[in-house]
Amino acid sequence: MSKFAINGQLILLPEVSTTNSHLPTPRKHSAPSSSHELLNNAPSPRFPSLICCCSSPNRNTEPSSSGHLLKSLGKSLFFGSISPAASQFSSTFSGGGGGGDGGLWRDLFSLATPVAVADEKHSPDWDSHGLPANIVVQLNKLSGLKKYKISDVLFFDRRSKTTAPAEDSLSEMVPIHPGEIHTKAQLQNDLETLTSSGMFEKVDLLGNTKPDGTLGLTFSFVESTWKSAERFRCINVGLMTQPKPVPTDSDMTDREMIEYYRNQEKDYKRRIDKARPCMLPGPVQREMMLMLRDQKNVSASLLRRIGDRVVKWYRDNGYAYANVTNFGSLNSKELVCEVSEGDITRVVIQFQDKLGNVVEGHTQIPIIHREIPKQLRPGHVLNMKAANQAVKNIFSLNLFSNVEIIPRADEKNEGGVIVEINLREADKKSAEVSTEWNIVPGPGGAPSLESFQPGGSVSFEHKNIHGLNRTFMGSVTTSNLLNPEDDLAFKLEYVHPHLDGVYNSRNRIFKTSAFNSRKLSPVFTGGPGFEELVPPLVVDRVGLKANITENFTRQSKSTYGLVLEEITTRDGNIQICKSGMRLLPDGGTSDDGPPTTLSGTGVDRVAFLQANVTRDNTKFVNGAIVGDRTVFQVDQGLGIGSKCPFFNRHQLSLTKFIQLKRVKEGSGIPQPPVLVLHGHYGSCVGDLPSYESFAIGGPNSVRGYTMGELGAARNILELSAEIRVPVKNTHVYAFAEHGNDLGSSKDVKGNPTAAYRRMGHGSSYGLGVKLGQVRAEYAVDHNRGTGAFFLRFGERY
Amino acid sequence: MAALQMSREWIGIQQFPPATQSKLLEILDKFKQEDVSSLTVLVMGKGGVGKSSTVNSVIGERAAAVSTFQSEGLRPTLVSRSRSGFTLNVIDTPGLIEGGYVNDQAVNLIKGFLLNKTIDVLLYVDRLDVYRVDDLDRQVVTAITDAFGKEIWKKSALVLSHAQFSPPDGLNYDLFVSRRSDALLKLIRAAAQVKKQDMQGSLFPVIRVENSGRCNKNESDEKILPDGTSWIPNLFKTITEISFNGSESIHVDKKLVEGPNPNERGKRLIPLIFAFQYLLLMKPLVRLIKSDVSRESKPAWEIRDSGSASRRA
Repeated sequence: MSKFAINGQLILLPEVSTTNSHLPTPRKHSAPSSSHELLNNAPSPRFPSLICCCSSPNRNTEPSSSGHLLKSLGKSLFFGSISPAASQFSSTFSGGGGGGDGGLWRDLFSLATPVAVADEKHSPDWDSHGLPANIVVQLNKLSGLKKYKISDVLFFDRRSKTTAPAEDSLSEMVPIHPGEIHTKAQLQNDLETLTSSGMFEKVDLLGNTKPDGTLGLTFSFVESTWKSAERFRCINVGLMTQPKPVPTDSDMTDREMIEYYRNQEKDYKRRIDKARPCMLPGPVQREMMLMLRDQKNVSASLLRRIGDRVVKWYRDNGYAYANVTNFGSLNSKELVCEVSEGDITRVVIQFQDKLGNVVEGHTQIPIIHREIPKQLRPGHVLNMKAANQAVKNIFSLNLFSNVEIIPRADEKNEGGVIVEINLREADKKSAEVSTEWNIVPGPGGAPSLESFQPGGSVSFEHKNIHGLNRTFMGSVTTSNLLNPEDDLAFKLEYVHPHLDGVYNSRNRIFKTSAFNSRKLSPVFTGGPGFEELVPPLVVDRVGLKANITENFTRQSKSTYGLVLEEITTRDGNIQICKSGMRLLPDGGTSDDGPPTTLSGTGVDRVAFLQANVTRDNTKFVNGAIVGDRTVFQVDQGLGIGSKCPFFNRHQLSLTKFIQLKRVKEGSGIPQPPVLVLHGHYGSCVGDLPSYESFAIGGPNSVRGYTMGELGAARNILELSAEIRVPVKNTHVYAFAEHGNDLGSSKDVKGNPTAAYRRMGHGSSYGLGVKLGQVRAEYAVDHNRGTGAFFLRFGERY
Repeated sequence: MAALQMSREWIGIQQFPPATQSKLLEILDKFKQEDVSSLTVLVMGKGGVGKSSTVNSVIGERAAAVSTFQSEGLRPTLVSRSRSGFTLNVIDTPGLIEGGYVNDQAVNLIKGFLLNKTIDVLLYVDRLDVYRVDDLDRQVVTAITDAFGKEIWKKSALVLSHAQFSPPDGLNYDLFVSRRSDALLKLIRAAAQVKKQDMQGSLFPVIRVENSGRCNKNESDEKILPDGTSWIPNLFKTITEISFNGSESIHVDKKLVEGPNPNERGKRLIPLIFAFQYLLLMKPLVRLIKSDVSRESKPAWEIRDSGSASRRA
């Protein structure tokens, strides 16, 4: 294993690197929207692992919930690192599936045990040394037939007359551990290894007989030393062929020897020049240089320390396959550290069935390939963080129930790594039928037996059509099977990603859908004191939509498309309704109130273009949202439809989450206080049917009022501010909001704001506390000065 | 115009005392000189302030039905009288207030009634013998402004009925009249959104009337006010002045009746607005997102790798 260099001995450092966990200590990380949680929990100190839990989109990152998510979803990712006897390093990534099952751990463990020992395992017994206790024996005095049980292993430095601590990297070089059983031949072999490693001028192995028949071992050694070096250089020799030592002829004259060394020196220079620079950053290299300068001469232990430090940097930064392979240019001014960084030579994507057999996959490879970061492609250095990113990306395609990335040493290319991506495809087609009973209030308000309604829904999904991740899905739901036309909701959707081709880095998604919806109109709502007088109005929409979405980041996107809609306005009895009620001054009502539709017939048909640009830079800081969000949306009428509606309806919403205090990021650290500023402007030029007017008031407009309680207008401006103060792992908040119709209520036909005695503007303020997904808040309605408690789900902004 | 309406001969004029008659004829002559053949006067105000009575006094006959204790339906009535080629149209309207609110329906009926007519003069009637101006007054004035536009106030006069009224103790009659009219004018100015200076430029005319049969009369048997002016000729004179004051008469067309259609406003600008939105909002926003993406803090491994990859190249 030792190599010779021109001007000194080259040292092959042991490639055993496995006991150092190359991953940081337990940490938690969460990506804002991908909802992957990474946990590093190590079942055994030897096996650092990374668990990735994929959950439904969920912005929760509280520590308490993560365990729950892990359990409930049971989808995890882990990788462990092990060291087989061949000193090769192997890691496993897996995403999805029931990660961390015991069988795999056992397999890994057995691999991890040095082969030399494993060979002996089946031997049940060991032999006593059969010598008097407490005497020192030379290795060659030991019997070649006996199996010795080793009670302890010591390293004695003869130069400094000290015993090196066992945790020193020396012990890693010796595959002998207390409690193990070795034969004389094995011990001799190990000693040979040490002697030839080039790190020692001299190594002796002494046995120390113990009274209980076991043997204590002492390696007494003199370290090799070289001339001091001043400079440090680190090169990447990965994938470079190792120089073959030209055998020296014992008959060579001195002259030939000099010639020989000169040639070797030249060869080595050429090799260094050819080698790629390594990734080791300047500061670390300088640190090494200082370590070198501190010492009078370069000792083997210094090289070991340098090697350890270099490897540690690589491990800490995710380069799991990086190793220091050699130190060259010893006895010169510049020490050369040769690193094999772990270059990826091949990426293999393969599909597995439920039993783990490799099968032919349905998904087209380019679909997966584009999700792999380019840092995980051949020619790059394997980085576990890149691999981790790849697992997340591929998993978020939502096509696979299990994603596993396993790096393997490339046997054909020394220093190379093959990245194996194992995927288990999820079911392509699914259909679901469900039925339910609804209890609806009878005529008296209380539920009666006759009012039990059977409801149901049918849904189907065809995923990954043509293996290109195209999806077709549909669902039909009714709450009353006996009379489905009363309340029938349906949705058909076709999603076609990679509109510009799978090989194009631009990912535009085409989506088309047919839908319907039924909502209570917030426009036909009475103001304070008139709530009961204004009958509800139902807005039914049936339509077709086709749009193209381009996702720039996980949160920022632009969408544009065409919408065709038929809007029907209905009264409480599901009868088509042309105009709302009008409140008469004497308290009565008449039915010639504001028109409900543009056409005046109760049914409108309209085609318009819809575009939306969302710029969202928000991120989580210890669970609190911080950043900016800008959303602009425009509906541009085309003059196609009932009464040729031509309009431009636009909305701009700006939200700023300002972090008020710098905090360290990490789990368990409280959230920073955040000030939220929000503004929303909406306006419509041209034909505006009442159902498209902007309603003011409600949990997403002005809190403390009911939906539309403040009015419905052509133009609106909403301003609000909220301050969030962290308390334990959640926050309390205070807010103030204002909504204004900018005097444009009268510009809606029939002026529904005034017709239903609404103010057209209003403010509110209040306090609240966030409890998981629920917000409990007390809001004071400024128009009346009265307050009320509200429980709301989800976020306001 | 009221051309379709059969206009009756103005007989009522003969019932006025000769002194009044001669003054009125003088005014009619003036109209003839100006080649104006008809004049339309709109009378508006709250209920029960004496609108119909004023109409009757002006015409000189019981043309509009006066009901003392209740409002007279919701329909406006047109009284049209002609005298030697000149037609005087007086439109009496029902009270606008009902149940503490302006009756929108009544306003709409009036507007519908006035469709395709031109209002030359608006008489806004209120009582003199009321001490306060309240929210209802404001609502009525606002309703009139909303219905006909603020321009109508340039063709208006404030009519104070029940002018033969003794102010409470210690108050001078003239002082009371000026205070009462000032209070109402302030309201009208606010509603008409006219600055005070503008209003002073053309003094808003105030006419006092006394429709009661017990109205004092002077030696020529003319109805006079406490300060001795004969009010009927005065009223006609003011109306004449208003009609010749240079401001445009208000023509009630379909647009005015239906109100400005907000759905039509700015419609022609929509293509421009959309272009503006596309070029100055959406495109820059997308550019911003792209610059965000390029500025995004990348993990160390990504940067490092691209660096070494470039070195490799």
